[in-house]
Parts: sequence; C-alpha cells; structure tokens
Amino acid sequence: MTDAGAAPQPLWRLEGVTKRFFAVRALSGVDVSFRRGEVHALVGENGSGKSTLVKCLAGVHQPDEGALYHEGSRVTLGHPLEARAHGVATIFQEFSLVPTLSVAENVFLGRQPLMRGPWIDWQAMRAETRRVLGELGAKTDPDAIVRHLSVADQQLVEIAKAISLNSVLLILDEPTAALGLHETDRLLELVRGLAKQGKAILYISHRINEVFRVADRITVLKDGKLVATEEVAALDMDKVVRMMVGRDIEQHYPKLPATTGRVRLAIRDLRTERGVRGATFEVHAGEVLGLGGMVGAGRTEIARALFGIDPIVSGSVELDGAPLSVHSPNAAIEAGIGLVPENRKADGLFFNFEAPRNITTSKWSRVTRGPIFDLKRERELGRSLVTTLNITPTAMDASVGFLSGGNQQKVVIARWLYAEAKVLILDEPTQGIDVGAKLDVYGVINDLAARGVAIILISSDYPELLAMSDRIAIVSGGAVLGVVPAAQMDEHRLIAIASGAEALPTQPIPAAGSATA
Amino acid sequence: MRQRLLSSTVIGPLVALILVVFVVSLTTDRFLLPQNLSNVTLQVSSVAIAAIGATLVILAGGIDLSPGSVLALSSSTLAILIKNLGWPVEIAIFATLVLGALLGLGNGVLSTYLRIPSFVATLATLTIYRGLAFLITGGTPIFSISPKLRPIFYGSFLGVPLPFYYVVAAFVLTGLFLRYTVPGRAIYAVGGNESAARFSGIKVNRTRLLTFMIAGLTAAAAGVLTTARLDSGSPNYGVGLELQAIAAAVIGGASLAGGLGNIVATLFGALIVAVVQNGLNLNAVQASWQQVTLGTIIILAVGLDMWRNDLSEALRRLFRRPGQKGST
Repeated sequence: MTDAGAAPQPLWRLEGVTKRFFAVRALSGVDVSFRRGEVHALVGENGSGKSTLVKCLAGVHQPDEGALYHEGSRVTLGHPLEARAHGVATIFQEFSLVPTLSVAENVFLGRQPLMRGPWIDWQAMRAETRRVLGELGAKTDPDAIVRHLSVADQQLVEIAKAISLNSVLLILDEPTAALGLHETDRLLELVRGLAKQGKAILYISHRINEVFRVADRITVLKDGKLVATEEVAALDMDKVVRMMVGRDIEQHYPKLPATTGRVRLAIRDLRTERGVRGATFEVHAGEVLGLGGMVGAGRTEIARALFGIDPIVSGSVELDGAPLSVHSPNAAIEAGIGLVPENRKADGLFFNFEAPRNITTSKWSRVTRGPIFDLKRERELGRSLVTTLNITPTAMDASVGFLSGGNQQKVVIARWLYAEAKVLILDEPTQGIDVGAKLDVYGVINDLAARGVAIILISSDYPELLAMSDRIAIVSGGAVLGVVPAAQMDEHRLIAIASGAEALPTQPIPAAGSATA
Repeated sequence: MRQRLLSSTVIGPLVALILVVFVVSLTTDRFLLPQNLSNVTLQVSSVAIAAIGATLVILAGGIDLSPGSVLALSSSTLAILIKNLGWPVEIAIFATLVLGALLGLGNGVLSTYLRIPSFVATLATLTIYRGLAFLITGGTPIFSISPKLRPIFYGSFLGVPLPFYYVVAAFVLTGLFLRYTVPGRAIYAVGGNESAARFSGIKVNRTRLLTFMIAGLTAAAAGVLTTARLDSGSPNYGVGLELQAIAAAVIGGASLAGGLGNIVATLFGALIVAVVQNGLNLNAVQASWQQVTLGTIIILAVGLDMWRNDLSEALRRLFRRPGQKGST
C-alpha cells in the first residue's frame, strides 16, 4: 500500500453517502473522513443515522449514492467479509462472541490455525491469543469460557479479535454502556493507546463527557445529515449537545426542588444471598434518592431485593411506617413498589404486545372487572399515558419492538405511572437513549416526585445521578456506606468515596427536607 | 374490535383454507357433497379439539408431545370404566376428562416446578402414558362399549353433526378466554417474555401449568370423541396426534418461541390439514403420500411466513415501474 507519509491520505473517506430505507432517508449526503492515529467520535441522537453510517463501513449496507474511499481509492463493500478484508472491525454493543466457547476459540472463530489436515493447532491459538491480550494489558486466560467473563473482559476479547485480524479501523459502538467507572477509564486509555499505534478508531457514544476525554475529532449527525466535524479543542459539551438536539437546552438536568414529606420507605440492614450486605436508608415521599457506586457495588441487587426478586435473608422493610414483606414481585407491586429494570429488553418489554398491553401488565386489576378485561378502558388508559409521556403514537398499534430505545423505556416507565406506584426504583433509566428521551424521563421523575412518589434512582451516569437526586446513598460491597445531600457532592468525591479512596464526611447527615433548602 | 378479530394473523390461514377448498373441489366433485362435508367434520373434530391445548401450551412458550398418548389412555380408561366397571356413561366421561386434566397437570409440574424442559418432559410422558394405556387394557382394544355412547356425540342437530357444534363452541370459548380473561392474557405475557412477566408479578409457573392442564383436558376430550365414534377404546389410538395438533397450530401461524398465535387461525390450520387429507382420500391417493403432503404443508405454511418479506420485496421489484427507481 502507498503510504503518503507527511501528507497523509485519510484512511477512509466517505463522500456524499446517502442511504434510503423505503421512503426514509437514513443518511443524506454525508462527507466524513477517518485518519490513522485518530480517535474520531460520532455522536447524534437515536435515529440520527449513526448506525446506518457504521453499517455502510462494515459492509452491512451499501450506500444508494456516494462513495467510500480506502486510502484514496474507491471501494465498494458488498459484504461484511469485504469490510473485514479492508481492515474494518466493528464492535457492537451486543457482542458477537460465542458464549460457550473459550476466549482463544472466539478470537480465532472461523479461522483457527491448523496443524496438518483438519487438526486445530491449539498451542498456536493459545499463544497468539495470550500475546494479543497482553498487548491490550489484559491477563485473561485464553482457555476461559467467555460467558464466565465480566462484560469488560468480554469486550476486551472482542477488541483482541479485531486486533488479531489486523484491523486498522476499529468501530466501537457504545463501548462503555455496560462498564463500571474503572473499566471505562481502562477502556478509554486502551482506545488512546490503539490510536497511538496508528489505528483509526471510530467511537460512538451517548456519553458526551466521555467523548471529550477520548476523541481527537467529533462528528455530529442529525436526521441523517452531517452537522459538523470539528477538532475537540474547538468544541465544548454544550455546543455539541446543541448541535445534536438542534435546539438550545437550557438545562441538561431540569431537576425541580423537592418538597419532601414523611418517610415513605425505610430499610434497615437489608441482606440477601445475592450481594446485598447491610443496606440501610430511608426515602421520603417526593424525594429522589440516588444510589451511587461502582458497577457491581450491589445497587441493582438492592433494587432486586426491594422488588421481591432476590429473597431477603435478614433486615426489615417498612412502607409508610408499616412493616412489609416483599417475598415476590407480586407482593412488591401490591404494596406499591415499582421497578424499571436495568435491562429493558430482557426484563421489561413484551415484544408481542403494543404499548397499552405492555403498560397494563403491572396491574391488570385496574382494567378488569373480575377476571374479565375491559379492552376499551385498557386502550384509553394506554392512550392517555402514551400522550402524557410523549411516546410516539405508533406505539398504540405497533409492537414495542418497532420503537426506539427512548420510546421503549418510556413504555416501561408508563407501567408504573399506570400502577400508581408509591415507590419507584429506576435502574439505569437513561442508558442508551437519546437526549430528547432523556429529558422526557427526567420530566417524569420530577413529575412523580411532585406527586409524592418516593424515587430510588440508580445511574452510572454520575453527572445525571448527582443532578437528579436530592440525596445520594453511597453503595459499596453491597452495603450503604452513608447518605449525603446531593448538593454536597460532586463527581470526584462520589467516586473517591465509593471506591474507598476517601472517607465519608463525619458530620451528621442532614434530614432530607433540609437537603435542598 | 372487529378489525382486531380479522387481523392479518387470521386472514393468511383463512385465505389458504379457501384456496385449499377451491383446489380440492376442482379435483373432485364429491368434495362438496353434504355427506362428505359431514365426514370431514367428524374427522377433523378430534384433531381440532386437541389443537386447542397444543396452541395454548405453545403460546405460553412450551410444547406438548403427549396428547396422542393422553388420548389413548383416556380412551382405554373410558372403555374400562363403562364396560368392565359398569359406570354410567356420563360419569365415566366426566372422570375421563378429569383424568386428562391430571395427566396434563403431570406434564405441567414436570416442566415448571421440576424444571425439566417441556420438550423432554412430554417426550417422556408420551411413552409413559401410552405404556399405561397398554397396561390397563392388557394391550387389547375394548369393543362395543355401550350403545348409549355413540348417539351422545354422533347425533345431529339441524342436519349438522353434533361434533361441529362442540368444536365451534370450544374454539369460541377459548378465543374469548384468551382475549378477555386475566389467565388468557397471562399466557401471552409468559410466552412473550418470561422474565418480564416475572418482573410484572405474573405467576409464570402457574400460568404454564394451566396451559398443560387444558392441553390434557382437550386431548382427553379428543379421546372421548374418538372412543364414541368407534364405540371402542384402544391403547393404539391417537398415534401421531401430537404432530397433527402442533401442525394445526403452526400452520395457523403460532410461533414456537411463544407469545404469538391466534386460536381461530389454529382452527383454520386444522381444517386445512383435514381438507387436504380428505381431498387426497377422494382422489384415491395412497396413505404414504398423505404423510408426505402433511409435511410439505407444514414447511410451506411456516416458510411463507418466514419468506414473506423477501417475497413482497421480489414482487415489488417485479412490478416496479421503470421511472420509480430512486435517483435525484
């Protein structure tokens, strides 16, 4: 290949790329280029055309118009294998690993080194896998079975696979969505390192602050059109958000001051066999209590215990002053506790139902007379929630599988508005949804709090957690270390305390009411 | 409401049924004779009733391979109760239906609380239940059970054989059950997403158990119908019923992944199978070819659904006017 040296050709250049799906223009006339040694971030709301662009580069889609240039010469990528042959590797949010095979087998999937005849050269496979993983600073055992690895390690295996394929353009789609803070730091460092080695990285993320930490240049897409490609130095977060949304957002986090009432939910020394080891806190009516901590600290486990999924071994739960036994989700729902689960696709949505029937599953008794459904009333209630939550009207008749992530999440949240929950636990409610939908979710949180619902918010997006919560309970090792007013916290202190680098403030913890005063 | 009842999930199998009836009546003018139509009704009734249970189990995300054996055991039991033990016919029938529900309960307990996948659990009971049928009958059919048995089922009303009314009533009831009741909705929810159902406080095991019990009940009802038609009980009855019942559900568009399917479409599925078999019979096609045909229908029914997007895309290409190809 010709290496232009001092005046480098971009590795990849897209010129006037347009892609239509029936009447919809997913991409129209996009020009963008990716250079070796550069981390190039691609941002935009859901539906802005990011994944279509990625799929054109990955050979999944072929542009209707425009052209792709690889080191100056025009290429067509008719098939994912052609993209791979041109050094493009895509690491999607959902990994393409075979969970039951070993790390080495996955790295060499479909191209195992052979000895003689059909015999696989296991030694070579292990050695090469170990070498590539070592290059990435990982000590994963090549013989480990992939499904036993953490999400972060699985991701490293994906990256190792890409590197052992000699890929030059690495596309990372929301790589930190499921990672903890440390793991995120490690990944960002790794991405920078790979760029230094001369790889081109296309980095896609909803987390703007992360993008600013890792990227050299940022490309913003909106409605399938290129808004701008700029050096990071020429941008700031507000500007990027404005370009993405196309309108000024006065406040990223429109938190309303809480007018908190009496104690709604009180838990004392809660323990389960699945990772809760002494959780104590109170949530007041109208208050948002944020659970802060690293991924794996036990926050989701606390939510699962309170919702009756994991059996509680010891400790007590009180709702409105009365002891409560949450031995099943049904008992929790009856008592007025709702949970928006972390994984909305696996645990939240019924893809065989449209929005109204998805919403009413949490409490059929509101739309039944005896055991008989009042389908008209169900639809009416569904429609009013679809309108209230600003969910797309398509949701009335189409399966939720056809909705965007943001709309899907709002359907799950609508379920608890409908069930009139007194306590609502939201586990990573804004993960993977676009800015507009996030604002809608924040709006609902405010709204519910104003109505006296006690809210427990779990989020790994710390700026969001700090901004939307009244108080923060810091969780580590399955226990609550302490509860502090959100106003006295910032991201750094939160991380420092949760990771044990700093002790909690020793002053007595103020009551919730005074927290926001 | 009306629009939903005639949704595309029902239209497809209905159109297919009409086509099949049309083609079969072209090949032979005997098909539309009242006597023949009445025969088709009698033939289809057992399979159609058993297909109700098969569909419910599939909707909840399970599979039941045992209805043929439940039919055999019910048929044998009914014959023994009436002929050997001298039970009154009505009470014997009721007891047989209860037995069917209990056999289904067995399937359900195995595949829910005892966590054996339903495919394996009902594969096991497929042979257990038939084995029991051979044990209690000593392996020989019981003939001439009672003169009172046949008229209960094989009378007619307004010139139409009674089983027709039973089948229609059973499907209407099931349709209403699925659409309007809480357990009916729970079946769809559990089949659609088991984990989400749990997170919504739906009792997953209990719901699946119910579908297996209904499947046992409908298989036993099919057994009662068969026994009454032939006035004999036999451990050899119902071989292959599971295939026909599942085929009816699948041809009607039910997804084996659970959560998707329509009971009315299952009835059309059962009718399609029956009409095709009847057409082959009338044209004196040998039985082996009928088996080949049933398999082909299953492949076509599911295939057409799978290939639907490709087919419509191909049709669109075929009929696209030259000027329409997008270029700006």
